[in-house]
Amino acid sequence: MGRIVYAAAMSHVLYPDYYGENVGPHGRRMVEELIGVVRAMGRTLMAAAPDALVVVADDHLNVFSFDAVPALCVRVGRSVSRMVQADAIEFDRALDGLPERYPLHEDLANGILEKGVQAGFDFAASWSAPLDHAFLSPVSTLYGDRPVPPLVPFWVNCFVAPQPTAQRCFAAGRHIARVVAEGPWNAAVVATGGLSHFPELSLARVGQSDPAFDRRIVKLMEAGDHEALTALTAKELHESGSHELLNWLVLLGAVSPARARVRFFGEMGRIDLAALEWDVA
Amino acid sequence: MSRYETNVVLYRLKKDPAFRDRFRANPGGALADADLSDEERDAFVRWDTRKLNELGGSLHLLVSIPGLGGH
Repeated sequence: MGRIVYAAAMSHVLYPDYYGENVGPHGRRMVEELIGVVRAMGRTLMAAAPDALVVVADDHLNVFSFDAVPALCVRVGRSVSRMVQADAIEFDRALDGLPERYPLHEDLANGILEKGVQAGFDFAASWSAPLDHAFLSPVSTLYGDRPVPPLVPFWVNCFVAPQPTAQRCFAAGRHIARVVAEGPWNAAVVATGGLSHFPELSLARVGQSDPAFDRRIVKLMEAGDHEALTALTAKELHESGSHELLNWLVLLGAVSPARARVRFFGEMGRIDLAALEWDVA
Repeated sequence: MSRYETNVVLYRLKKDPAFRDRFRANPGGALADADLSDEERDAFVRWDTRKLNELGGSLHLLVSIPGLGGH
């Protein structure tokens, strides 16, 4: 019987130059401190030796276009490539130099997809979507130069309204935990993104975050108050710039009722950064 | 409301370097066949990113078009 042997969530632009350029020296210092914490978390993750690493993240209109935006999507197939884009902006320059392909845990991914559809989750499947910084910036920081276990990338539509609800994301996480428990593999689950930034997805408000909202959310995670977190509305997430919390809600469903431990929390102004672990052992 | 068309143009500007070059050289000409309202077309031609965002253009596309990203 499989277990979730490690669970964590963290911000996903782990790239000092981006914050140095857009925020200044204090932004650079803060993300460098976060990167140090995530590397330490990576040592705990590697010690847990998962057979598969489920990564829950969002697309930034890199992979899916307005032709079709899946609410929830499982990446299936044997391997996945790193997104490559000529003249990429800062976000995705964090991917330069990383391996071009990563193995997938085909059996676990297929199980999540097929059992999900049987259970009433109309998950989309992709055999070709590549991974952008939302996946690979945290994974590469956690693992450094060491081999990454087979991945199960899981996309949540965080940015193109109408997004899936907090409750639905939590339920998808419960489903992932059930599939892991029914299988023979130990899995780690990592969710990425946040905390608050880009409120209302308004260009005029880029540069603002909502520290009071973020402090409240982190306290709820520490307390294990998943009822309050699943009650978050699309309006609250949109107005505070917390769209990517939907990724974290999938993880919360996977680990519930575990409580979070805060490894890092920093209020930068443009965005608030965080890294949390859950006691799942 | 042609939010879809606005975002199709933004997505092409992000992903298609040849289209991006044509747009930079001659915005009106590059968009001649695009199904945009006059207001949307004008915002593209003036490269008024805030207006495009107000008209439904995706923030993540607007900030990530190589060489044109508007923060």
